[in-house]
Amino acid sequence: MYLMQSKERAAIQGYGAYVPYYRLPTTEIAKVWKGGGSGPNVEKAVAAMDEDTVTMAIEAGRYAMKMAGTERLGAVFVGTESKPYAVKPTSTIVAQALGQHHTLAADLEFACKAGTEAMQIVTGLVGSGMIEAGLAIGMDTAQGRPGDDLEYTAASGGAAYVIGRKDKKSAAVIDCSTSFVSDTGDFWRRAHERYPRHLSRFTGEPAYFHHIENSVNTLFKETGHKPSDFKYAVFHQPNPRFPVEVATRLGFTMEQIKTGLLNPLIGNTYAGSSPIGLAAVLDEASPGDKILLASFGSGAGSDAFCIEVLDGIAATRGVNPTVKSMMERSTRIDYSTYSKFRDKLHK
Amino acid sequence: MAIRHWRVKDRYYRLIGSRCTECGAECFPPVYRCRKCGSEKIEDREMPQSGKIVTYTQLHEPLPGFEAQAPFYLAVVELDNGAKMLTQLVDSTDESVKTGAKVVATVRRARVDGDSGQITYGYKFRVT
Ligand SMILES: [Zn+2]
Repeated sequence: MYLMQSKERAAIQGYGAYVPYYRLPTTEIAKVWKGGGSGPNVEKAVAAMDEDTVTMAIEAGRYAMKMAGTERLGAVFVGTESKPYAVKPTSTIVAQALGQHHTLAADLEFACKAGTEAMQIVTGLVGSGMIEAGLAIGMDTAQGRPGDDLEYTAASGGAAYVIGRKDKKSAAVIDCSTSFVSDTGDFWRRAHERYPRHLSRFTGEPAYFHHIENSVNTLFKETGHKPSDFKYAVFHQPNPRFPVEVATRLGFTMEQIKTGLLNPLIGNTYAGSSPIGLAAVLDEASPGDKILLASFGSGAGSDAFCIEVLDGIAATRGVNPTVKSMMERSTRIDYSTYSKFRDKLHK
Repeated sequence: MAIRHWRVKDRYYRLIGSRCTECGAECFPPVYRCRKCGSEKIEDREMPQSGKIVTYTQLHEPLPGFEAQAPFYLAVVELDNGAKMLTQLVDSTDESVKTGAKVVATVRRARVDGDSGQITYGYKFRVT
């Protein structure tokens, strides 16, 4: 058995997303580097010049704690590949801003799946009874080398989850999960390098598809679930095409994935990508709905979850702005403003 | 009396201000003596994270270290508990910044030290 399931079930008590205010249309990038056209996605979310993973994690964390109605967190994990400091935790700054000192704080790094592994770890800590509740955050201010294919999608945003012991107030129970990893050289960034490197021919088949298909098929095999059992499915979204392709291969329909498919309008928020997709689904889901969540992180691995929405979801409505409203509250910027915001210009 | 470092951070991250236990007045930043009744019976109090714009100005030539963000709005904000404070506004259009507009607190980078690279975080507000 490869299935991970806590003896005492852990549940999502509150969640919060964060999408920054600025959007860069991909036509702007194409204008500068390729002379026209657009990228695979329409726009991407861009953090303001005074925002970073710390500030965005605090925003999402505050929303999640407000919804959960909790003031005490036994753990604060921030999954990200865009830490403001190479050495100095992101999680301690976030914890202090959330009023938490007696807490297990740590940064997790696994390219785009650092957010979901934070959720698994907190689920384990809660399920074992070590803590009452903890916070799992997936957040990034992802950057691609100017002109690189990655620049069209590398975006800013993410989501935070307060996971606690399942009770009457729970919004959704984390029933079980699986993980699948292998040493795959599809994407990396060495220390002191500013932008990541990738092998284009490696990012699809042996990386994204191989790992997600393994984690999800293992989940299906060991739980007996099939795609039609799920009302919604959320996959990691490096571009608009891959999640649709992997969903189709696994037997899911467009209807099941469209609610959580945010890449076309916000881009790839890396560690935040599948967690914010899940937040968009929770904004609309009803008690009894099952959700399949599958992340992918280069290097490489995938975590797949079976989540079931509970009656407590009703009380979460209206507490925080929805993901949709955060996506709508936006303003378009040009490539030069984006370059200034994201520190690509030096005086 | 020196304020411990992490207490200062709570002020800038979480808007920890003061509440007078004699008359109930709340204020930010924290004080040692109540501005309303003069009492020294003061306790820490987390300020509400929302309020409204009382008055504002747009800064075109800010202090050294903040030039890249110019122009930006500075506003006096009245929090929901009546406490008034001076703050920078972010993510807000010229049309949305007006007297009476509702604002919420956010944590942003205040400045980055040019030599050490240390990042200072602190509250700013945005129009809802
Ligand atoms: Zn007083």
